[in-house]
Amino acid sequence: MANQGSERVGGLVETHKGYNPRILFFYFFIAAILLTLGGGLAYRQLFSNDRYHEAEKKQNQRRILVPGPRGIIFDRTGRVLVGNRPRFAVTLYLDQLRQDFRAEYIKIRKAYREADDKNLPTIDQMQRIARFTVVRRYLDQVNQVLGRHEELDSDELNKHFRQQLLLPYILLDDLKAEEYARLIERLPVNSPLQVYTSSIRSYPLGSIAAHTLGYVTGNDDIEPSDNFPGADLTTFKMKGTVGREGIESKFDADLQGETGGAIYRVDPSGYRVNPPLSKRQPVHGHDLHTSLDAELQIVAEKAIVETELNGAAVALDIRTGEVLVLASKPDYNLEDFIPRLNHDKAKQINDQGAWLNRAVSGIYPPGSTFKIVTSSAGLLAGLDADKFSVDCTGSIMVGARRFTCENGHGIHGVISLTEAIAESCDSFFYQFGLATGAEKISATADRFHLDRPTGIDLPYETKSMLIPDAAWKKSRRDEAWFPGDTANMSIGQGFIGVTPLQMACFAASFARGETVTKPYLLHDPERPAQHTEPIGLTPAQHAAIVQGMVGCVDHGTAKILTTIPSMRIPGLTLAGKTGTAQVHGKDGNLNIAWFICFAPVENPKIAVAVVLEGNVGEETGGGRNAGPVAQAILKKWQDTQSRPPAPVITIPGK
Amino acid sequence: MSAKRFDQAHPFLTLALVFAAWLVVPTAVKRVLRAGFFEMQAPVEASASYIRDLQEFWSLKTRSKNDLIEAGRDLIHLNAAYEVRLQQDADLRAQLERLGRLLNLPAPEGYRAEAARVVRRDFSGWWQQLVIRKGSNYGLTVGAPVIYAGGVVGRIREVHAYTSVVELISSPGVRIAACLEGDTRPISYQGGINPTLSPARGEVEYVPVDVFVSPSAPRRLVTSGLGGVFPGGLTIGSLTNVEPSSDGLFKSGGVQLDADLSDLSEVTVLVPEETPPAAN
Repeated sequence: MANQGSERVGGLVETHKGYNPRILFFYFFIAAILLTLGGGLAYRQLFSNDRYHEAEKKQNQRRILVPGPRGIIFDRTGRVLVGNRPRFAVTLYLDQLRQDFRAEYIKIRKAYREADDKNLPTIDQMQRIARFTVVRRYLDQVNQVLGRHEELDSDELNKHFRQQLLLPYILLDDLKAEEYARLIERLPVNSPLQVYTSSIRSYPLGSIAAHTLGYVTGNDDIEPSDNFPGADLTTFKMKGTVGREGIESKFDADLQGETGGAIYRVDPSGYRVNPPLSKRQPVHGHDLHTSLDAELQIVAEKAIVETELNGAAVALDIRTGEVLVLASKPDYNLEDFIPRLNHDKAKQINDQGAWLNRAVSGIYPPGSTFKIVTSSAGLLAGLDADKFSVDCTGSIMVGARRFTCENGHGIHGVISLTEAIAESCDSFFYQFGLATGAEKISATADRFHLDRPTGIDLPYETKSMLIPDAAWKKSRRDEAWFPGDTANMSIGQGFIGVTPLQMACFAASFARGETVTKPYLLHDPERPAQHTEPIGLTPAQHAAIVQGMVGCVDHGTAKILTTIPSMRIPGLTLAGKTGTAQVHGKDGNLNIAWFICFAPVENPKIAVAVVLEGNVGEETGGGRNAGPVAQAILKKWQDTQSRPPAPVITIPGK
Repeated sequence: MSAKRFDQAHPFLTLALVFAAWLVVPTAVKRVLRAGFFEMQAPVEASASYIRDLQEFWSLKTRSKNDLIEAGRDLIHLNAAYEVRLQQDADLRAQLERLGRLLNLPAPEGYRAEAARVVRRDFSGWWQQLVIRKGSNYGLTVGAPVIYAGGVVGRIREVHAYTSVVELISSPGVRIAACLEGDTRPISYQGGINPTLSPARGEVEYVPVDVFVSPSAPRRLVTSGLGGVFPGGLTIGSLTNVEPSSDGLFKSGGVQLDADLSDLSEVTVLVPEETPPAAN
């Protein structure tokens, strides 16, 4: 008992005998906490490791993308039509100026405090002042070297600092070679100021084929290739370019260089920690060899300009369908788009109607050039070229309406098909067309694909061309088709509308005795000759029409090309057809002058179509105005044929 | 026992204290100490170079009279050739001045040539520099171009009272607006990473794409004169290889520098002459 009593007394002393059941609760509690902690740690370390790693990467890494230079565009002989030239800028890497910004901020804060200024700026305002002061100091350094007096834009600087800290801030752009030479010699090698080179478009031959080549505009959203790492990182993009018209737009994916860039680690404030974790050089885009012949293009554009009229000219290689000339005037100066088109220039282009590429998007009634289609349709319908003749008295009555012969002196007398083509006798074709029938003329025009786009490798080719027929007139105008409509269509007037490119394709097709020519804008020395569905004319029928076209140039409506000595092209036989259509403009009626042709007659190689928009009140004619433009192109073409082929020289950036 | 341990650690403690003291010393004091150290060292190096000059002098004195006579003849020929060149130079200068007057061109900036002996050559993978025996006592300034008979040596990086440090064109810290002989398009030249005892090379950027060279057909790279530091036409080296840059706009390449650069004993500093104030 005594022992028991002493044990009770001693019960106050800590003993390790047995368990206190209450402590078990704490054991479990502690174990549960440890398990929770351990499980959480294991979960984060073992299962969520990738997620946290990605989050850490996103927070600490930044990607900078640099666009690759665009590919060069050559003509078929290797002349550079669109190249690249360097654009030098002096830039400042703001992320290298962290210490300077901090020191300047402390100095400014101290100055305000010492001055006991009541209107103490906020921290953010003082930081902005500090940044401005430091950057302006660098700009002053550049101004001193270059002898300039440039000013700094505070808002632009802050925007750049907030949004594009890792990209170089451009202090001065478009430096001359002498200026960048001074800077590279006078600036310390390790200075935050550096000369930065970017690539911009250059036009060594001037602004030729402006509509066809197109232009580029700035692109803030350049995209890297799929295998470029860091797609999930915060990305800064240097400005690239994107094609907006013509070949630049159509082949933008080929011309675009491969985007390069680098991934940098940054500190918590977003400042770069050199060197880059990975880097990839931008790669030059693919070069394009167009089918255009720069010499012919220059001549064509000059000839159109000399007429002082708006218009277009197209020349095709008859064998392959490659486009040798695709000219449209008025056009725009491609240099005006570098770096961007200003408002005044844009307005000027707009006022002149120079945005329109008349060669592929200008819709015109073909006038008498359509008589070749009418002739083909009539002969295919069974009319006899030798026997069908008309006594042209200057006009005929079709229904209740008098249709006059507008060409020559208006009275051609008895005239056959061949001579009617040469003299472009309207009276003959009114009756020839009526004898053929509107459906057959329309069907023949459709076979020549005059009712649809050619599918040339250019954006914005119009789809508004029209070969009318009775069904169309009923559906669109809710009117019946009258014989007068057939008479009008026979001479290429009325509702018909085609593009110069279509008429050039038609001339090429007819020269080959086939129905379709697909135009190509890319040059392929191995391109096979085109062979499409034959027209179906007998050789004699085809020869009768061709003879008429030769007569047109020899003594007919385009005799100006042979009677005036300076216009002759010795050694080149030419088959052509003039056309003068009347349209109603907003200021009155005006003439549309056409000339289509192919040469040499015995072995056709080149087809040309020219259209000119006359002025209201002026007598503009196909033979008189459009013919000389085609003559200039053919003369230059003949010169180039007698020369050895030019070597293909590809000097990127030259 | 613990006292002994402290005694053993005493040197380390002292070193730590010195480091700590150096860290808290004001920057201005450090700068003065560094400059003072260099200026203290400079007389020793200058004296050594004078002694080397004396040694060279006595070694030349040991040459035979025949050698001296031959050297004298060579000198006469050289002098004659230089006389002719000087005359041609004077004619060209006169023509240039006449044309400049006709075109109302401003007078070109002039330089005062200051010959200086090399005191020390210091080549490593980090820097390539010379110490020359003239400093602010001869009016030398930081950034002044330094040349020798073979072309460009470099630029003055530091000027002390009696000596100056010249950074060689083989050093990555030197960049020059260059051009190829017979071509006016500017090219950026910069010294390369040159390990010790290897042939000195530099690098070029912004080389026009129509420039083609090879080690067997190099082209002479000269100063363009556009940068405003170096006069035009001074030889930098030979452009021996170029390759197109990835952007296709230019080429970049390598320049072989003159091997004599590492063995110079005398150079010339071109000190820009101050334009006299215009007379009222």
